[in-house]
Amino acid sequence: MTVFVDLYTDADTFLHRLDPRVKIVAVVLLSLLALIIGNLVHLLVLLAFVLLLLALGRATLSKTVFALKFVFRIMVMIVVLWPIFDPSGTPVLAELGPVKITEPAIWKGVAMAVRVCCLATVWYILMFTTSQRDLVRGLVKLGLRFDFGLALAIALRFIPTFGVTVESITDAQRARGLELDKGAPLRRSKNYVAVLVPTIVSALRTADMLSLALQSRAYGARPDRTYLRDLKMRWTDALALAVVVTIFAIPAIAKYLLDASL
Amino acid sequence: MRALEFNDVSFTYKGSGSKALEGVSFAVNKGEFITLLGRNGSGKSTICLMSNGLIPHALPGALEGAVRIFGQEVRERSVAEFSKSVGIVFQEPESQLFCMSVEEEVAFGPENLAVPREEIGDRVEWALELVGMKGFNDRSPFSLSGGEKQRVAIAAALSMRPEMLVLDEPAYALDPVGRFELYSVLKELKQKHGMTVVLAERDPEEAVAFSDRLLLLEDGKIAGVGATRNVLRDPQKLSSLGIAPPQLSELAALLNSRLPGESFSFLSVEEAERTLSEDFFAQGRARRA
Repeated sequence: MTVFVDLYTDADTFLHRLDPRVKIVAVVLLSLLALIIGNLVHLLVLLAFVLLLLALGRATLSKTVFALKFVFRIMVMIVVLWPIFDPSGTPVLAELGPVKITEPAIWKGVAMAVRVCCLATVWYILMFTTSQRDLVRGLVKLGLRFDFGLALAIALRFIPTFGVTVESITDAQRARGLELDKGAPLRRSKNYVAVLVPTIVSALRTADMLSLALQSRAYGARPDRTYLRDLKMRWTDALALAVVVTIFAIPAIAKYLLDASL
Repeated sequence: MRALEFNDVSFTYKGSGSKALEGVSFAVNKGEFITLLGRNGSGKSTICLMSNGLIPHALPGALEGAVRIFGQEVRERSVAEFSKSVGIVFQEPESQLFCMSVEEEVAFGPENLAVPREEIGDRVEWALELVGMKGFNDRSPFSLSGGEKQRVAIAAALSMRPEMLVLDEPAYALDPVGRFELYSVLKELKQKHGMTVVLAERDPEEAVAFSDRLLLLEDGKIAGVGATRNVLRDPQKLSSLGIAPPQLSELAALLNSRLPGESFSFLSVEEAERTLSEDFFAQGRARRA
């Protein structure tokens, strides 16, 4: 499947076994933390912790690089561009017309890149240690409405299906002489209409069928729906949650007190 | 009480100029396996969709006459209520499985009906075992073959413990292996579980071996109905309705036309083999001896 790669990697690690609700809460808290702290050293400590988690989840290097390739590019861009557009602070290291490169701006750029890296890695950890099924289950248990959760699950479930549809429509149109990669950009995008229209028609037809199938299986029959699989918090889940809350709370409170005293 | 009763039923889909069904009357008894035969547009799907209330509740149109499902008038109950007594399987394997695992798929119906958790677990295992998909619980429906998908769709309907199963051309998108797997399950449902089944098909080859009755449809009207064996005595009629007659009934008709006095009728290869070796060839050998 070339169109979509599910980041989830099946393994039996502490992070994989963790209750998805705990993982979702932890990821949100760690993300907030990355946004709250601005100090480069503190951010590097957070990054080290996140990378430790990455190792705990036994992430493979190739998949990690694949998933975060885009983020690395953005990090490089931030480090390069930040000092150019931020002329604040001293000492000034170089000056070229209106552009002023200052030392604090360089460090700010690096800090910002580390922050982006923290954010991306934290979410990547969630995605590669939690199956889509558990993710949706966790969100619903955290209070997401069941029908929204179902819509999300259906969307995720049908991504590969539509990948196959797009592929076969593309092949069919190519077999009829459609040249998708030739010509000027405008012409090329016009050619894609021949793929887009049948894909949309097929998607609408699938949606119609889905609604019939859902109704036939008593969807929405009772408000007190039961669940075959339930999530259970174990003491390890509670412990992990406590650790994450502590890690979040200490810097957050310190920052709040600091801001208040200023 | 009948499982399903159509009384002079006509139906026109909203926005369509012509009638999809016209003056259709028939009934299905409990425990009966009835196969609806007809070409595209003959009204098979319309009958299937009416059998659990999707017509007129989800697909509106002008409905005349009376449709009763286990004694309940179709207009007076919702699809969700009918879903407790009628399970339905559609043509397209891909678009009727919407969960991220086989287990969730089969559990979806009973979960919606608020069945207690332990019982859902039992039902899931029972249904998957019945369709020969035990152990596939954690697989994604996307990763299954066509035949496996349709068997999961059957399990998903069976887990709601319906009294009647309706299948709308379930073998439509299947390869020969998938067809074989599907029909093995339908045969078992009929022979071991006595399930009431309404099956729509264009190719009756496998289904005739265990269908109690055949209902022939053409342009929304009933073109013939009767016990499987009786209907198959006239393979030409099937051909004229755009239905490929089973090879065995063509063989029987050919033998009957060449051999005056014989009236063969075969519903399965085993039956043909038995009849021909015991009666026919034995007589021939006796005559030659």
